[in-house]
Amino acid sequence: MSWFSDWKEKRAKKKAEKAATAAAAPAKKEAAASSAPAAAKGAKAPEFIADSPIDGYVPGLGAPPGGKINIAIYWAAACGGCDVSLLDTDEKVLNIGDMSNILMWPIATDGKEKDIEALEDGEITVAMINGAIRNSENEHMARLLRKKSQILVSYGACACLGGTPALANLVPGGVNEIKDYVYGVTPTSANFIADGGRKLEDVMPRPEYNAPEGTLTLPVLYDTVKTVDQVVDVDYYIPGCPPTQKSIAALLDALVGFVYRGEALPPKGTTVGVIPKSLCEECHRHKENRRITEVFEPHEVLNIDHDLCLLDQGILCLGAGTIAGCGAPCTKADQPCRGCYGPPKPVSEQGSSIFTAIASLFPIEANDAKMNEDDMDDIMSVIKDPLGYFYAFSMSKSLIKRAVNEGGQ
Amino acid sequence: MAEFEPKIVAFCCNWCSYAGADGAGVARMQMPTNFRIIRTMCSARVDPEHVLRAFSKGADGVLVLGCHPADCHYIGGNYRARRRIALLRMVLEQYGFDPKRMKLEWVSASEGEKFQKTVIEFVDTIKALGPNPVCSKEA
Repeated sequence: MSWFSDWKEKRAKKKAEKAATAAAAPAKKEAAASSAPAAAKGAKAPEFIADSPIDGYVPGLGAPPGGKINIAIYWAAACGGCDVSLLDTDEKVLNIGDMSNILMWPIATDGKEKDIEALEDGEITVAMINGAIRNSENEHMARLLRKKSQILVSYGACACLGGTPALANLVPGGVNEIKDYVYGVTPTSANFIADGGRKLEDVMPRPEYNAPEGTLTLPVLYDTVKTVDQVVDVDYYIPGCPPTQKSIAALLDALVGFVYRGEALPPKGTTVGVIPKSLCEECHRHKENRRITEVFEPHEVLNIDHDLCLLDQGILCLGAGTIAGCGAPCTKADQPCRGCYGPPKPVSEQGSSIFTAIASLFPIEANDAKMNEDDMDDIMSVIKDPLGYFYAFSMSKSLIKRAVNEGGQ
Repeated sequence: MAEFEPKIVAFCCNWCSYAGADGAGVARMQMPTNFRIIRTMCSARVDPEHVLRAFSKGADGVLVLGCHPADCHYIGGNYRARRRIALLRMVLEQYGFDPKRMKLEWVSASEGEKFQKTVIEFVDTIKALGPNPVCSKEA
């Protein structure tokens, strides 16, 4: 409850403040539009900063002393949420405009691969790659951006851990099985083939096609989805699905300091926006260490206790094996942590460390000593799809990495 | 080609199975030499990560040996362990491993004979299964 009321209060406060500033300055819109000079004079900008969860727009920054820097943002195998998340920084995104030329940002600007290729090595100051490395184009662009940029940021859960695309690693037949299914078995494809009297080869994408005008090529899908740092050298990591405003703001602040005042950047390999503890430290819920015998999806529990640990309520929450820093927005909204921030620092295998913890929540039965291992399998089978659930984000970083075939096929 | 000799990692609880293995050695019981013992303080000390790491580094089979239920030195360690191992068995199956590649067995300090029997049976199982699929994939 507390979160909801907090949020309501904050919302009301924000509204009241907005109304007050609007009344005090009827020309608010104008002031915001010509932000730099107005903010330098007036009291409005600092007020906004105080209210904002992040530091807010640093007004009147202008171009850096050494000229604008170049920034490139690229999406590999991603949903696009990371690309959009950069806009979550609200007005702070304007600082990016002050500071830099955006050479590539698939969702917002029209950057082309050939423009990047034409640059000198190291001409891009910061390149951010979101998404996993799923095909040959992703790998090519990652290598290209690494070559052309001074700082490479692995941005988002897919880039850092493999994320949802990496669950494709669990298809035993690899890419061929996926393609056969998508282009041959799914109803839309199957109907398309049947209706037109076509064959599977007609609809199956070919990596190369000889047209009269020349050879056309398509990227090749990989059997194993990789993280960005498994392909190229990465300087900074920003985990999250998508990264929170705070993480992005932290990176931006570091960049602003570096570009304008020549301040030192964080050491290479830093994970931005995390706190080296488990998410439980940040979560507002209290724990009663209850034992569970059944597990539920959040929608199956009618009255979720807003202050009690979700694991105590039988909802599988991955917070215990996930690094903190996000502010636990999911558990505040009665949803379990899914582990998008990755494991806490000393842990390498996120999935197994969580199911180790969760297995310990199952109570010891009175006749436990008389049970055999098949009974244990029955008890634990209340957890469906443990691999997909506990490794939902970290498959590429897991020890086994992909499905295996017994018999050495 | 020479016969396939599996590499097996055996995690033995300090209080029973390790002593049981010791007893088997002192009694000069004959058994295959394909296993390497790692002593742990309890079967519950065996993190599933240890087992996964063994497989990812090329172990063909993993044995987890602990005290009999109701006999744990730490009262409830083996109860925890067997629940974890049950989940891990599901995970290994989902990866595509044959679940028989990992075995949980209870061997007490006096059961040198059971240790011998367990090892002989497990080595036979793994020999029938063939090499670790993670390795054969890379090769």
